[in-house]
Amino acid sequence: MDSKLDLIQQSFNTRYSQRVREALNELPDNFTITDPSISGHPIVFASGGFLKMSGYSQEEVIGQNGKIFQGPKTHRRTVMEIREAIREERGIQVNLLNYRKDGTPFWMLFHMSPVFGKEDGRVTHFVAVQVPITRNHGRNGGVSLSEDGSGLNEIVFGSCRREVGSDSSLELGRVLCLDTGSKVLDIEETCEASDLEKGRAAIAFNSILSVLTDYSKLTGRLVCGKRRSVPGAGYISSSLNISLGRIKQSFVLIDPHLPGMPIVYASDAFLKLTGYDRHEALGLNFRDLNGVDTDTSTLHQINESIQTERACTVRILSYRKDKSSFWNCLHLSPVRNASGKIAYFVGVQIEEDSKNHDRHGLSPEMRQLSAVGAVKVAVRSLSLGAGPAGSSKS
Amino acid sequence: MVVVVPYLHPVGIPLILLSSLVVAADSTICKVVSGATVFYCCCRILFVRMVTVKWLEDNCFLVKNEKSEQLKHSHFFLQGMNFPIYCCGSQSLEEDTSFEGLSCIAEEEQSMLDAFLLSQWEDRMWKGCFRYDVTTSEIKVIAGKMKFFSQLNEAQITDHLAKSEGTLPAWDHFVFDGMKHPEELLFCLAGSKKAKSELIHVASVPDSAILVIINVTPVEYGHVYLVPCTSNRRYQHLDARTVEMVTRIAAEINNHSFRVFYNCYRPNCSDVYFQACYFSDPLPVEFRPVDTLLSGGRRGIHICSVIDYPIKTISFQTTRNLKIMAVAISEICSHLEEKNVQYNLMISDSGKKIFLFLQQPFAASHAISAWECGGYFLFKNRYEFDEVTEDAMLKRLSCFSLNDNDFEAVKQLCCSIASKFDI
Repeated sequence: MDSKLDLIQQSFNTRYSQRVREALNELPDNFTITDPSISGHPIVFASGGFLKMSGYSQEEVIGQNGKIFQGPKTHRRTVMEIREAIREERGIQVNLLNYRKDGTPFWMLFHMSPVFGKEDGRVTHFVAVQVPITRNHGRNGGVSLSEDGSGLNEIVFGSCRREVGSDSSLELGRVLCLDTGSKVLDIEETCEASDLEKGRAAIAFNSILSVLTDYSKLTGRLVCGKRRSVPGAGYISSSLNISLGRIKQSFVLIDPHLPGMPIVYASDAFLKLTGYDRHEALGLNFRDLNGVDTDTSTLHQINESIQTERACTVRILSYRKDKSSFWNCLHLSPVRNASGKIAYFVGVQIEEDSKNHDRHGLSPEMRQLSAVGAVKVAVRSLSLGAGPAGSSKS
Repeated sequence: MVVVVPYLHPVGIPLILLSSLVVAADSTICKVVSGATVFYCCCRILFVRMVTVKWLEDNCFLVKNEKSEQLKHSHFFLQGMNFPIYCCGSQSLEEDTSFEGLSCIAEEEQSMLDAFLLSQWEDRMWKGCFRYDVTTSEIKVIAGKMKFFSQLNEAQITDHLAKSEGTLPAWDHFVFDGMKHPEELLFCLAGSKKAKSELIHVASVPDSAILVIINVTPVEYGHVYLVPCTSNRRYQHLDARTVEMVTRIAAEINNHSFRVFYNCYRPNCSDVYFQACYFSDPLPVEFRPVDTLLSGGRRGIHICSVIDYPIKTISFQTTRNLKIMAVAISEICSHLEEKNVQYNLMISDSGKKIFLFLQQPFAASHAISAWECGGYFLFKNRYEFDEVTEDAMLKRLSCFSLNDNDFEAVKQLCCSIASKFDI
């Protein structure tokens, strides 16, 4: 757990410097910031306003996934929409029922948007602004359909329209509720945010983004609100990052289409095994794990496997960052995207000395193959179409 | 103007095939003396694909004339053979508060069953047990509001081209032969009295297990058959226990990509079986708006009808009790079968959500598969794949759909059955 908290600290500090937290806390808004590259897509920052609204303490929230705020009455469809937005790395604005720590539900406008790294176009964080919905504003006929960009700036995405259009069952629920003349606001009823609230969320996001942009200048690792296309940078989309984060084995993805075939994804377990930091591991070449005593014929075998697009299993002497060596049972396999083309090679490592069964009784070899399977499923996703899958049509 | 007839993926039907029986086949119709014929409409040509589970007792097994007699012993072929057994703990079905949490991004650690199934499937891929690498097939979104998926499965074409003349080659029958290809049986799932699930690496198959067998012509990664198997009964209809077991599997796998399918269309009443595979993206039907028909109590079942979708669909959801939902679904299904309504099931969301697709009554000579109902179409050649339009797919689904009047009746049936379980 400690290592995860370290990663969370790192996630923020290396990008924005230490002092960004103070600056963010000066903002009055309720918001959380999450990092999709850390396994579990945890919250790495929660504003004072958010903590007050939710009733949780800082320690209880950091490292958790946003789902801890959801409960039985949270609409599954809305959760799916948010999940889709994360997959597609776009912004979303929806009405969401969340729960405070004491279990009381409350409606809020959930406005989430990605923040991109300028140098590589990768999503570094998601910012989620939460505006509590006040229930006393007029419900003219029940629907406020004025979200077609009026008065809202560019970062309010078309998701509102979709949300209204698709949740017609909920619309119906509300109409029925009005018909019975019920003045008691039932939490089951869907609550619609007003234009004012939508505008507030958008403004809050802009001010958070400008703080993040300013502070990223201090570290030189700039962020921005819009993706710059970086040709050949080979980033991994956040949805893929999240799917891959579930896989606990030590593995890396290499992109065979980039010069030098760099590592474009490294799992937490890989970082632990080799001692590299995430940003050091990304961009490394497989060869960088070799050392003086690594058998060259094994390297040939690996190269041949890549050339012939076949899977292989080898036992190879690998080196950590500190140059200490270990026997690595490496399984390498091509991984194909939705177009059926090879997008990556996955390399799953097992340190020979630690070859014992896990708590479930699965052997390391089974775990290794299950990681390959899980990576293959994740990379087949169509929502990755805009990502590396598109660039790998070679 | 090109009319695109999508390729129907072969639906596997396990049946008992006596070794002495003759299989006669030509390019359009496959006759099996013992029973089942399956028709596939494949670009205006009828193709037949028969999936056979060959239950073998042992070498001294005597062929009996009574088919039913044989069915009774269907499970004996596994006797004396050992397989990994995954025992589902009782905990997974009991009321579990953790079950209430919605998995927003499904970031939990891989479950044991998920890891085990993937490892076994990948292992068979590595060993070359499949006809083709399904991940080489291209998938795309069909332009339009439904965002239907289409897959170009060229490997399947070669199969069909190869056999388009004369008789079907023998390998066109998927035969699960416990003696010849025991490696196709990945493992068995069984209930356990223990609270926690466990994996027994080698054991003989217990009574009332579910066999997990690879589909050698997969539609997507991880495609398996889930075949209920018992020594004293034949599964001709969905019973509550089977639905419960299968739902439990989905819950234990706890991977949002994992979906289980059931096609009720089984000509000549072969045995019941499910299919499952990993679809990285939710199927289009899962995004459609819904109308609430019954909003179950705290422990009850939430029923919705999917609106604005070409095939009549009802979704069932529970946050707490899978068992009750399984019982209700099986009761609904048996009513539908009585009334000759064809249906398909799709279990998603780790067992918490079940879709019921309603097709025209049995009069039709064929039916579509559950994934097709969900909005996932397979095409056998690039031209069809490239030319497909949403309109064509909408038409296709709606021509298989149950009519409005009957749908109303089915809605009422679902609600009245489910409300019995409302506590």
